[in-house]
Amino acid sequence: MTRLHLVIGPGRVEDFLQIFRTGVGVAVRVGCSLQDLLCGQFQLDESYVDRRITTIFLDGKPVDAVGSARIREGSTLALSAAMPGLAGAILRRGGALAPLRGNIMREDGERNEAPERDGVITVKLFNLLAPELAPGFLRRGVLLPAAEAEAFLRRRPPAFWDGCREILLDGRRVEAALLKGGCWAPPGESVDLSVALREA
Amino acid sequence: MDKILRVDMGAEGGPKFRTEPVGEFAGLGGRAMTTAIISKEVHPLCHPLGAENKLVIAPGSLSGTSASMSGRISVGCKSPLTGGIKESNAGGQAAQVLARLGYAAIVLEGKPEGDDLYKIFINKEGVQVSVDNSLKNLPNYPLVEKLKGQHSDRAAFMTIGTAGEMKLLAASIACTDPEKRPTRHCGRGGTGAVMGAKRVKAIILDDTGLKMREPKDPEKFRDANRRFVEGLRKHPITGEGLPAYGTNVLTNVMNEAGAYPTNNFRTGRFENAAKISGEVQAELEVKRGGSATHGCHRGCVIQCSGIYNDKDGKYVTKQPEYETVWAHGGNCGIDDLDVIARLDFLDDNFGVDTMDTGAAVGVAMEAGLIPWGDGAGAIRLVEEIGKGTPLGRILGCGAEVTGKVFGVERVPVCKGQALAAYDPRSVMGIGVTYATSTQGADHTAGYSVGPNVLKSGGDLDPLKPEGQVEMSRNLQIATAAVDSTGMCLFIAFPLLDQPETFQALLDMIGAFHGIAMTGDDVTALGKSILTMERDFNTRAGFTKHHDRLPRFFLNEPIPPHNVTFQVKDEDLDKVFNW
Repeated sequence: MTRLHLVIGPGRVEDFLQIFRTGVGVAVRVGCSLQDLLCGQFQLDESYVDRRITTIFLDGKPVDAVGSARIREGSTLALSAAMPGLAGAILRRGGALAPLRGNIMREDGERNEAPERDGVITVKLFNLLAPELAPGFLRRGVLLPAAEAEAFLRRRPPAFWDGCREILLDGRRVEAALLKGGCWAPPGESVDLSVALREA
Repeated sequence: MDKILRVDMGAEGGPKFRTEPVGEFAGLGGRAMTTAIISKEVHPLCHPLGAENKLVIAPGSLSGTSASMSGRISVGCKSPLTGGIKESNAGGQAAQVLARLGYAAIVLEGKPEGDDLYKIFINKEGVQVSVDNSLKNLPNYPLVEKLKGQHSDRAAFMTIGTAGEMKLLAASIACTDPEKRPTRHCGRGGTGAVMGAKRVKAIILDDTGLKMREPKDPEKFRDANRRFVEGLRKHPITGEGLPAYGTNVLTNVMNEAGAYPTNNFRTGRFENAAKISGEVQAELEVKRGGSATHGCHRGCVIQCSGIYNDKDGKYVTKQPEYETVWAHGGNCGIDDLDVIARLDFLDDNFGVDTMDTGAAVGVAMEAGLIPWGDGAGAIRLVEEIGKGTPLGRILGCGAEVTGKVFGVERVPVCKGQALAAYDPRSVMGIGVTYATSTQGADHTAGYSVGPNVLKSGGDLDPLKPEGQVEMSRNLQIATAAVDSTGMCLFIAFPLLDQPETFQALLDMIGAFHGIAMTGDDVTALGKSILTMERDFNTRAGFTKHHDRLPRFFLNEPIPPHNVTFQVKDEDLDKVFNW
């Protein structure tokens, strides 16, 4: 695993939002409930979860009860704000129209739940939630396949690198030129990318 | 709005018009008006392109007032696409201007001999119907550009492009937006073909010298409007999500749900959906000097539209909607927003429904005419429509005709109209609406206006198909009522969540008309509209067997959830039990 830590100035978080739309790996304790994951491990305020994260998918199925949905190794969790349209209303967490998606309802609340252990899940952040939640995940660190991390950084515009205050690769300070052009992570491995925001 | 303008395009000696009091249609607006007139006056077995059909244009009951969000105009007829009754509505400026001119409806009747093209001009002085063959074969953008130069700044335009002149079944009627671009379309059902059959190329509406329509109780009206706007602004969908990302905000979410029809409804996930998502689209629009936040009519506070420029900052089209991005994007395996934007422009310019056109291109790909994902090929196909080539005429008549001509089995239509951007196998409730709507496969037919509407009809097990049928019924009733007010359907989300905002709307309607409105009144209005529409369709030859999805939805499981549509026929037949 290659560890890459960036310190960036204000206004550059937007560059990272695209990786959250396709999904990033996040190291968590699996075997817990979604409620525990969001409020415990991700430390999101309960009222924020209730009020703001109104559309949730776990492994592609809409979640209604965060207390009973279980997180497993390899789960894909997608978080979104409320969506427009009839479809948006149908997919909304605990919405009155939830029955209209009966075919893709989750069946949660299994009796024999695996004990908690360390694992990795995929997290996707959509629309309004992406700029709100991405900074927290970036501080914590996210996992990307090496090729994806390299391609993402290669595509950054000059303004991104101008705003980059510090780059640490496996604990060593490196220049942006290394990330702009080359292959800096062993192929086939993962990159643990963490980003700290430093105000001006 | 105390008068109706009737224009007999087939009168002896040339088109003749008369203005008459609203009479029995008093108090009706939007879809209520178009449905009432069509169901009463049009023979259900008439040929939709013939003299017996009528084209009814009606602003909503609140259009032309200072009510926020009241800019929708409804166009009704017997649809040449579905063969049933049709109401197709659009934003833009036409509703407000027509309402301020005092017309509850324009009714185009008859059909002229010969191939002259007409324009109709309406201002406070009166009406002029005149021949203007210089407009022949003009697509919508150059057409409006030409007409703009001849009229005041306040004019609003309703036009047909070359597709409407050719009477193609997917032809739309374009309404100009506040910037006078022909970007808001009465897209579904071929209303443009009916206007073309009546040889009307353009309707120009000018309310110079006229004021907003005044409510009966101005103070109560102002207060209700203020509360209504507050409700829209504080709701996360209408106050944040839609202004920031537009309707295309749905792409990532529908894809995640496995309900994003991809490659002509073969799967529910598109690998490159994120590339054409609302988030990416908004970023691109802002970066290129366009806009991700724009209102399609004055008085809109949701501002879900936008302006899409090319990489050099030049205007391409208005921000493509979710349905358009899907139809020309994931439905065809295309993952390039610039290609999709170009297709959106071509659709608007030629004047065709983006949804049926995208679906037709998807069926053409299914038939092997061009490969999946071939953006350049898709553009070439749509350009054929504009040229009026035999292939273009086939595609311009929508997905069902295209499927028939090329021998394709998987054709996603109900009552001849293409499905929308939600797979009915993953979201069965939408499938119930697609199948049973009087309008054909319609994704806007099933909204809600408030919790009281949802609760009517009793409690059923929500996981059983009957529960889905019950909900679809209630939603269709509510949508029909909203479609009559001229209000944008996106007000439904705050109304669903915020009872005080629903009450504000009722108070606004009540204060305008000087009556007290309740949720039951809304339900009654919606039911009456649907009853008339069902009756017309029955007389037009529709039976319960038309309230069905294509059978491949019942037989082909859709990845990733591998589910099929499971609502039984006998349950679909219960939707309109009242």
